Amino acid sequence: MTDPMHTHRGTDALIARLSRQARPPRPLAHPVRRALGWAVIALGFAVAMVWAIGPRADLVERLGDARFLFEQGAALATGMAAAAAALALTIPGASPLWRLAPVVPGALWLGTLSLGCLRDWWAMGADGLRLTPDPACFFYIALIGSLPGLVLYLMLRRGVPLAPRLTLALAALAAAGLGNFGLRFFHAQDAALMVLVWQVGSVALIAALAGLAGRGLLRWSDPRPA
Amino acid sequence: MMRAQSGDGAAYHALLTEVAVRMRRLVRRRAPWLSAEDTEDLVQDILLSLHQARGTWDPARPFLPWMVAIARARLADNARRYARRAAIDLAAADLAETFFDGAANITEATVVNMMTVRKAMGDLTPAERQAVELLRLREMSLAEAAAVSGSTVAALKVAIHRAMRKMRGTLWKE
Repeated sequence: MTDPMHTHRGTDALIARLSRQARPPRPLAHPVRRALGWAVIALGFAVAMVWAIGPRADLVERLGDARFLFEQGAALATGMAAAAAALALTIPGASPLWRLAPVVPGALWLGTLSLGCLRDWWAMGADGLRLTPDPACFFYIALIGSLPGLVLYLMLRRGVPLAPRLTLALAALAAAGLGNFGLRFFHAQDAALMVLVWQVGSVALIAALAGLAGRGLLRWSDPRPA
Repeated sequence: MMRAQSGDGAAYHALLTEVAVRMRRLVRRRAPWLSAEDTEDLVQDILLSLHQARGTWDPARPFLPWMVAIARARLADNARRYARRAAIDLAAADLAETFFDGAANITEATVVNMMTVRKAMGDLTPAERQAVELLRLREMSLAEAAAVSGSTVAALKVAIHRAMRKMRGTLWKE
């Protein structure tokens, strides 16, 4: 039953067939370049959503506030780093250091919000740290992150799902991060603790849920469909 | 590989042949439990995966790490599938226990029992065999098995009942 010559002949035939299809595929661009391309689409969608929902009344004022700009900058950087990392993880042989790409901007994001909590408490006492329900944040973040998330998922499918859970978690972090970025242009909620819990919390939850679904959604297809 | 990427079929052929030799060695080292046929199947899976993923290779980066990453991922895939198959085999051994009294801790008896059960399954119709595989070996619920097989819960109940009756008849006769 197991004739080595027979089985090697099968491989030789396969190699002959594959080399007839040596026609080169469209090579993937560098993950950073692809992430930038993705960001253009994601931000375009976010702008459209903010315009449709209606920007916050104090937007001009906010744009002059250094703290707001810094928090938004960190959120945007975290999202973009996560997108690049997710794309890189689908390239076989890519450096494992890519997994750490969102760590620094993410730390800045969390750090600036934590400092904000301290500042709010210092300025307003216990009132500054009051936590009220704001579950709409989750919905809006998911909404604004939906198209970017879908686009990024389709981009990921062009690579190889070597670490599907982490890849999808990073992709969701990217999409939800952009969602949060957009949210703050129409949702007038700046209390640091509220942002940390309801907005960043939603981003983290979405990323975690996506990670759990990673194996199912980023399945590596059988090379020889039966 | 660079020549292959620019459409040079001969270069690609030579590359794949060299890769096949290396992969055969790698698979034999990492998965020594596989038969020669299964080893070759896995080598072919890896070659196909490399071929399908060749768009992800950046000519500015070294080829070997790229190739090894794909090979490792397929090996891990294969190991997971093997573990699942081993679990089914274990379940088959459990099934054998339901037909033979105790003493399944004696390895030879277990193996003989398993083979006898397998042989008895050969006497079943395809529908009955499928019912045994889904409901007893893979331990699915009736609803899951119906969804997977495209059959109905009622049909599966009839099939498993008939299968168990036939197998009891075959096995307890011996």
